[in-house]
Amino acid sequence: MLKSKRAEYFAAAVLMAPFVVIYAVLFVYPTIKMVELSFTNAPLIGPGRWVGIDNYWRLATERLFPTALWNTIYFVILSALPSTLLALFVALGVNRLKGWTQSVVLAAFFLPYILPVSVVFRIWDWMFDHDFGIAQYLIAPLNGGQRLSVFRTVPLFMPMVALVTIWWLMGFNVLLFIAGLRNISTEIYEAARLDGATRWAQFKRITWPLIWPVTVLVLTIQLILQFKIFDQVYLFTQGGYRVDTTMVMVQYIYRQAFQLNKGGLAASASVVLFVLIAVMSVLQYQLLRVRAQR
Amino acid sequence: MIRKAFIATLACALLVAGAARATETIVWWDFLSGGDGVRMKAMLDEFNKEFDGKVHIEATTLEWGVPYYSKVQTSTAVGQGPDVMTYHESRMPLGISQNVLSPITPDELAAAGIKGSDFSEANWKAAQGADGKQYAVPLDIHSIILYYNKDLLKKAGLLGDDGKPKGLDGVANWEAALAKLTTKDVAALSVPNDGGTGWRIFYTLLNQQGGQFLTNGKFLDGDNLAKGETAVGEMQKWVKSGWTPANTAYPASIALFTAGKAAMHINGVWEVPTMVDLAKKGQLFDWGAIQVPALYDHPATWADSHSFAIPNRQGNPVDPAKRKLVLQAIHWFNEHSLEWAGGGHVPAYLPVQQSDAFKAMKPNSDYVSLAKTAVFDPVSVVAGVASPVYDATGNYVIPAMMGEMTPADAVKKMRDDLQDQAK
Repeated sequence: MLKSKRAEYFAAAVLMAPFVVIYAVLFVYPTIKMVELSFTNAPLIGPGRWVGIDNYWRLATERLFPTALWNTIYFVILSALPSTLLALFVALGVNRLKGWTQSVVLAAFFLPYILPVSVVFRIWDWMFDHDFGIAQYLIAPLNGGQRLSVFRTVPLFMPMVALVTIWWLMGFNVLLFIAGLRNISTEIYEAARLDGATRWAQFKRITWPLIWPVTVLVLTIQLILQFKIFDQVYLFTQGGYRVDTTMVMVQYIYRQAFQLNKGGLAASASVVLFVLIAVMSVLQYQLLRVRAQR
Repeated sequence: MIRKAFIATLACALLVAGAARATETIVWWDFLSGGDGVRMKAMLDEFNKEFDGKVHIEATTLEWGVPYYSKVQTSTAVGQGPDVMTYHESRMPLGISQNVLSPITPDELAAAGIKGSDFSEANWKAAQGADGKQYAVPLDIHSIILYYNKDLLKKAGLLGDDGKPKGLDGVANWEAALAKLTTKDVAALSVPNDGGTGWRIFYTLLNQQGGQFLTNGKFLDGDNLAKGETAVGEMQKWVKSGWTPANTAYPASIALFTAGKAAMHINGVWEVPTMVDLAKKGQLFDWGAIQVPALYDHPATWADSHSFAIPNRQGNPVDPAKRKLVLQAIHWFNEHSLEWAGGGHVPAYLPVQQSDAFKAMKPNSDYVSLAKTAVFDPVSVVAGVASPVYDATGNYVIPAMMGEMTPADAVKKMRDDLQDQAK
């Protein structure tokens, strides 16, 4: 008995070893190094001198970092929850369709997801161009006849980028929800209908509780993903119009490391982001799970 | 028999190997795309053809700006990277501080036939470090110029008999001209409303007043702040008065001009091929380009320079023989830079710049005068292409131009921001 248990452990170790080794070399070690780096004044490349918590102090007192932190959180609020709910909404609709119509509609929703971010940027930038954009025909009447450069209007910037992001990435969430919805046995719905349950009651009592684990999953994925927002914001402020006002955390890290050659400061900002994401996702996952178990 | 065949094969292999060794390879990185990329590729082909069997340049084009310079920095740090690379002179202070550039000795330069006296002084010196060492050899001078629509200028009575605009010098004349050129459907002037172009115009106007952006480590110090405010105020006035459309993206600003919806356009010389190609296809009006007019005391124009540098590859330096070859190649490109001038640039190499062939080249020869009064970017690690200075312009000067803040506020914030970042 004991022997077989040992064999089990051995098998487990062998199977896991490649991953553990790669994980240690490519994630754990660099992470430790990053934390170490955040206490030095190192440039992007090469060693630095130990400066204690100077970098963290600088982040706290600097003008730009709090802006980047707030913009990131603001973007997560604007994108994570709406994209999850919208995806559920769409999935419920798509799920009602049958046969090839369902496939076509699902494909249509999924299509943007396969586009690279640069293409997504081109499409929206072209549509919303201030002078020649096709969307200006819709925007101008709403703006008192004046064309409006939405991506250059600071209060509109983050909501617009969130909208683009939701449009771009929602397809995948829809797919996850559809898979979840298909897992719910039709017999439950049939039984409910026999008992005279309305569609709303069916949703509230059957669909919502049974789809909840998928919702939690989607929301968690979204949260982690959206905290790392960079590409879209970077692309839409290309050319450098009001970069500071719309800066997000990864962009701040990129700027410190690659534009300003400040490796230590960039590392400390990375540590802050890392901790933030870790705490937020664990907290959120636990909170939502507790709710589900109640 | 078998033995004979074996020996023959071996001999063949040796021959091939010998022949292959005779061709030296130079690994080359650049960031030149668009019209520049096409021209450089043609020149590279020409070079490889001329030195076929002896030297072969293996060129790779990378993404312009921060991505390019990040790659250069990271690869040189681990002993990788090219034998020669293009580098913006304005970016050299940062490059030198990052230990990315390998200094070129006077002996090496002399051996390749490269002479400092073959370049304008400011241009040559901009490729030197604070230590006085030469870190690069310039290829061109590129700047912003004023593109103009001859038909529209003629209609407004602003075109001289020589086909060049008249009466644009001095703020009063300039503004009067802009007002005259603006009609219901046509704006007088289109400019890309981005940090890069904003900086180039701002720096031009600042220097035309004799202002300096950076003195003794201080940004916009003393009365330079007021001169900066004047420059931003002027730019704001263009938009406020309706002479210049607001919120114009880079491509849109060009399209406004080429579609005849803007009479004039300020942009880099690198857009000359765009106009030349359109004109060749018969899709453009009669156009021209001149040096940006002197609105203030004296003419001055922002300028930068594409140059060639040898990377300082850590632990794996470019060997002396290869360096010699590289410098000879650089000299070849300068001697052939007339072709490069087709991209709108002014050749840095004076024998070409002053040649009859270049003087006959249009529109380049109409704005070559800018080279004499060119002002290069301030020497600072936060200045240069795709630098914090560009960003700061996008953060403060352009919003001020759009009327979102006062010019006084903009220059003060710009000064404080850069002062903070230069720490």
